[in-house]
Amino acid sequence: MDELEVLKQHWKKQEQGLPKLSYDDIYKMILKRSSSMVKWIFIISVLEFLLWGSLDVFFRVNGQYDEIKTSGMENYLTISSVVSYGILIYFIIRFYLNYKKIQTTDSAKVLMQNILKTRNTVKLYVWVNLSFLAILFLTTMSYSIFFTDDFQNGDTKEVPVWMIMVTAVIVIIVFIAVIALFYRLVYGILTRRLKKNYDELEQLQM
Amino acid sequence: MNKELEHNFVTHLEQNQNIVHKVCRIYTHDIESHNDLFQEITIQLWKAFPKFRGDAKFSTWMYRVALNTAITLYRKSKRSIPTTDFDTVDFKISAEEYDDEEEQQLKLMYAAVKELNDIEKALVFLYLEDKSYRDISETMGITEVNARVKMNRVKTKLKKILNP
Repeated sequence: MDELEVLKQHWKKQEQGLPKLSYDDIYKMILKRSSSMVKWIFIISVLEFLLWGSLDVFFRVNGQYDEIKTSGMENYLTISSVVSYGILIYFIIRFYLNYKKIQTTDSAKVLMQNILKTRNTVKLYVWVNLSFLAILFLTTMSYSIFFTDDFQNGDTKEVPVWMIMVTAVIVIIVFIAVIALFYRLVYGILTRRLKKNYDELEQLQM
Repeated sequence: MNKELEHNFVTHLEQNQNIVHKVCRIYTHDIESHNDLFQEITIQLWKAFPKFRGDAKFSTWMYRVALNTAITLYRKSKRSIPTTDFDTVDFKISAEEYDDEEEQQLKLMYAAVKELNDIEKALVFLYLEDKSYRDISETMGITEVNARVKMNRVKTKLKKILNP
């Protein structure tokens, strides 16, 4: 007889040995808070939205924008702010709709799919934001170099333009790489098991 | 209304708690994490309970939420310090019912099941609970054919673990 059948025969009998919780024990449990992964994903995602969403405010308060304003790029700045808030709102709505779809009563596969989808929404948001920042940085810098008086007047003659450009690009790449690494670590830990289980189910369908 | 819902839920769960305990047994290694997982499953069941229509059996509905919690939602809480391992106190299936050899074999079987991955454990669990392949496929979200194929692979894997 195969091994599982042996176990199956005895499976029912083990019930006598199982713990028995009272009505009160169970009642106390429903008053406690969940520490599920979905809850963590929700908390971390909201924090991310707050962090990235407040970057614009941070730059404003810190006076980073004043410099750009004086260089005559005011319109560009306004447009980019509107676009970045538009992106934020779009992603928050998408995140919320995906989050709402997470139901423990779905099949295991659908549940995992929905959690991963919710997670990916925030991940995509962060990447869009990073690219957006990189573009903003590069365009304002190029503009400063080629069109503003300071640069044209030769204040920076000692340092060649190409060197400024190369340094800036390297700074951006390092910045993005550090954030990417951080994300891989944080989410790697959080969703490793989920991904593994999802892949296992996916594999079955092939 | 809320009190009534609470009472209704706790009564249902109290009667069907064995299902949750069995899931915890398959997925945890010590009493501390058993209780931790039981707690999380209870919370998830309670959260989903208002949507429980009663058109399915409570127990059937429980299988899904309990397994989903164990496989997907549960994160071991930091407070679970390794305590007494199950093997020493585990499965006190009243000793007189088994001769030593049988008991030994069962222990080995359980140990083997614990070596399976999360998805395989879920399939084994549903199989042991006498669920049809249709139920298994619906709970896991795979096709019936795939559930059968996977089950056969799991059987082979168990055999290999037991007879290396």
